[in-house]
Amino acid sequence: MSFQAAAKPVKRAILFQRLPVLIAALCICQFFFLSCRHEQNTDTLRVGIAEEPRTLNIWLASDANSRKVLSLIYQHLYIRDPETLELTPWLAKEKPVYDPDTLSYTVTLRDARWSDGSPLTADDVVFTVDLIKRFKIPMYISKWRFVKKTVAVDDKTVRFFLDKPRAIFLTRSMVIPIVSRKEWADRADRAEQKEKPLMALMNQKIDKPLGCGPFVLKKRREGAFLYLEKNPHFFASGSTINGYGIGPHVDSIIFKIFRSADVAILALRKNSIDYYWSAVQPGHIDALEKDENTRVFISKKSAFYFMGFNARKAPFSGRGLRRAAAYLIDREFIISRILQGYADRMLSVVPEGNVSWYNPDLPSYGEGDSREERIRRAWKLLKSEGYTWNTPPVDKEGNVVKPSTIITPDGEPMEPVTILTPPADYDPHRAACGTIIQEWLKDAGIPASSRPMSFGALLDKVKAEHDFDSFILGYGSLSLDPDYLRSFFHSKNAKERGWNMSGYSNPEYDRIAESSARCMDKEERRELVFRLQDIVLNDVPYIPLYNPHMIEAVNVNRFSGWVEMVGGIGNLWSMVTLELNTERADAH
Amino acid sequence: MLINRFIIRRAFEITVIFFVIMTVLFLLFRLAPGDPTARVVDPSMDTEDADYLISQFGLDEPILTQYGYYLKNFFRGDLGYSFHYGKPVMQIIGNRLPNTVLLFTTSIIISCFAGIFLGKLTAWHKGTKIDTWGTVTALVCHTLFLPWTALIIIWVFGYKIGLFPLSGMLTPELWVDRNATVFLKGLDIAYHMVLPLFTLSIIHFGTYLLIMRSSMLETLREDYIITARAKGLTDKAVRDRHAAPNALLPVVTSVGLSLAFSVNGGALTEIIFSWPGLGRELIFAVSNSDYPLALASFLFISIVVLAANLVVDILYTYLDPRISY
Repeated sequence: MSFQAAAKPVKRAILFQRLPVLIAALCICQFFFLSCRHEQNTDTLRVGIAEEPRTLNIWLASDANSRKVLSLIYQHLYIRDPETLELTPWLAKEKPVYDPDTLSYTVTLRDARWSDGSPLTADDVVFTVDLIKRFKIPMYISKWRFVKKTVAVDDKTVRFFLDKPRAIFLTRSMVIPIVSRKEWADRADRAEQKEKPLMALMNQKIDKPLGCGPFVLKKRREGAFLYLEKNPHFFASGSTINGYGIGPHVDSIIFKIFRSADVAILALRKNSIDYYWSAVQPGHIDALEKDENTRVFISKKSAFYFMGFNARKAPFSGRGLRRAAAYLIDREFIISRILQGYADRMLSVVPEGNVSWYNPDLPSYGEGDSREERIRRAWKLLKSEGYTWNTPPVDKEGNVVKPSTIITPDGEPMEPVTILTPPADYDPHRAACGTIIQEWLKDAGIPASSRPMSFGALLDKVKAEHDFDSFILGYGSLSLDPDYLRSFFHSKNAKERGWNMSGYSNPEYDRIAESSARCMDKEERRELVFRLQDIVLNDVPYIPLYNPHMIEAVNVNRFSGWVEMVGGIGNLWSMVTLELNTERADAH
Repeated sequence: MLINRFIIRRAFEITVIFFVIMTVLFLLFRLAPGDPTARVVDPSMDTEDADYLISQFGLDEPILTQYGYYLKNFFRGDLGYSFHYGKPVMQIIGNRLPNTVLLFTTSIIISCFAGIFLGKLTAWHKGTKIDTWGTVTALVCHTLFLPWTALIIIWVFGYKIGLFPLSGMLTPELWVDRNATVFLKGLDIAYHMVLPLFTLSIIHFGTYLLIMRSSMLETLREDYIITARAKGLTDKAVRDRHAAPNALLPVVTSVGLSLAFSVNGGALTEIIFSWPGLGRELIFAVSNSDYPLALASFLFISIVVLAANLVVDILYTYLDPRISY
């Protein structure tokens, strides 16, 4: 006992002696890591992403972050010009040549190489198309089903034979990633032997994707980072395309994962990353704009957020009620109050920024009207459709009053209607829209209530079960080609899991949508697309609400030359044209 | 011998419970609303293509048939492929689990030792300033809102003072450097662990402190403690050798279960510190209807929790001679 008692103070003394040593060691480590950071390659672009890319298998990659990384590796035949949004030859040498007699397009390829140095050939393109059709790859098959045959005319020429004219061939089919036969032939053969070939193909493990893009994946540590280096065989290096001097001018890119946007913003401000490739919430804009290290980019998006109605059943099967709801919804209010001004109003189902296809002459449903004027318009419309009230929303003197019990044209009081929205933790904007819209509908006596529910459950109700009155949903990234108008409102898509969630059915619309899909003349097609928008805005199966802005932030100290386009600065053009900002980089 | 019989009986019960859990989880995931193809499709996709994808996922079969396949594969050690990762789910769990265990188990051990030590001390000094400050600190830490605390800690130590990294588990620039040694990489992970570990420890130590304090106060009222004092033992001996070991039982239960549940990580901590653990994956799997990954993750957690219960039961017999089976 006595020995132990004596040993204790000794131990304590040793501990106190070692404590400064431990602290010193910690400081050395700290110093070392800071030095390491200083010694990093200054030509490395550090990009923060919000989630880990789930896969490097191009046929499985459906999440945004996998596609961001893979977009720098696998390339398309054509890409969009950032300013005009017109298709620009990329792997293709020039615009495709259309032969109406044989219904074929001929594409000549550039002298491009895969990242292993082997040449890109017409056979690779044929192989890619065959693979998509053979395995019915979900994300791409609908864009290639109408292509009857793909032939390699020679090493650098491919000809696509269509079974019927299709407008989307150029805008949708020509912008799929091209893969190499070398990378995928054996994998595809093995997958085909399996009981479920598509699953087997999508489950193929890809560690080092073989592409002909500007970057090559060199290292990946799951959950932590991806490291890409410049592809020495990149076909466009040193050339000028559409006025842009193509690099890449950065040696490498490190993708770091920041699951919290708040922390990513701190990392940007602290020079730990150069760009956060994800949307920034409006609440961060002030701080970022005041910080001399950062710059905010606010771009337009090709997105579409809307309120949809169930046209299959009462009460929203009646067009009059849907139009009245359109009068009651104040988009300006939603944008200014809920989205803090960082969105464009949507007056059509095609975003206003999509200048080629947006129809500017559409019914605007009370745009610019006061609340009272909107209620009066809705009341007049509903009255003309046969609706009555115990107490109407507008009294005999023309004053707007609180209404009570709306009676449908059948003589029955209207049953309560629900507005399904995603929950606030998934999308606070849509949840808030549901709450405010329920109050606006009540102004005309429509007994509406907003009901947030999990996104999966909401989709089930709306797409599969069709058990709903109305809903608020959106598409965060719409194709620039308006062929989606056919998917959203053609009656053949009103079935289970179809994209016509409203169950909207209009034979005239179906006919024009089909004509538009077949129309190969752009001007003629524009007329048809304008007409489709007009029909939708008159029948209002959906009320377009808003198109949020893409808010992004960069650290300005090391790189400059970000290319803004629809969807933001996170695009291939930026990644191949960014240049090191030498003076400021040295200072940091 | 009795303990052996107890272990065999408990092992049997655990096996039965496990299969009940597996069945219930399987049915829950299949019956819950949600479409696993929702993330894979785009608006241009026809319904026929969506149906084809569903059939490829094997979700077009009746639920009981699907369950039959699942059981068959389970006994072959195959828990399926993740719909989104396209990888065997066991590989994903295996990849994430060490990170989770490293962070959360370390934090539980640190907070447990701190809690036991301080709990013992506050109970012994009941009514004094040590007790008041200790209890108030524990209560404050216990009620801290984790995301807020974590962000404040990151802001102060990571951003303002710049002493530690903001988030993540490693420094990519160091890990891509071919000259970096394993030792250096190990140090790098330890360096990144400091802030999340600090956050988790201050959040959790209060719980252990309060449990230990309350248990210790009860123990100190026992007759054998009076006897020990009457024998003339020092305060330290009475406190550390007579009272504390007996007061440990509830803490052991709590720590045992916390350690078991630590395998599921903490989604919030993992999100804020961008720690590549299992908790975040579990949330992702459930919210995106990635049935194989969600089911396997929950099954794994069930196994660990059931096993931890068994271990705690056995530990009791060693810690408290009054307990026998």
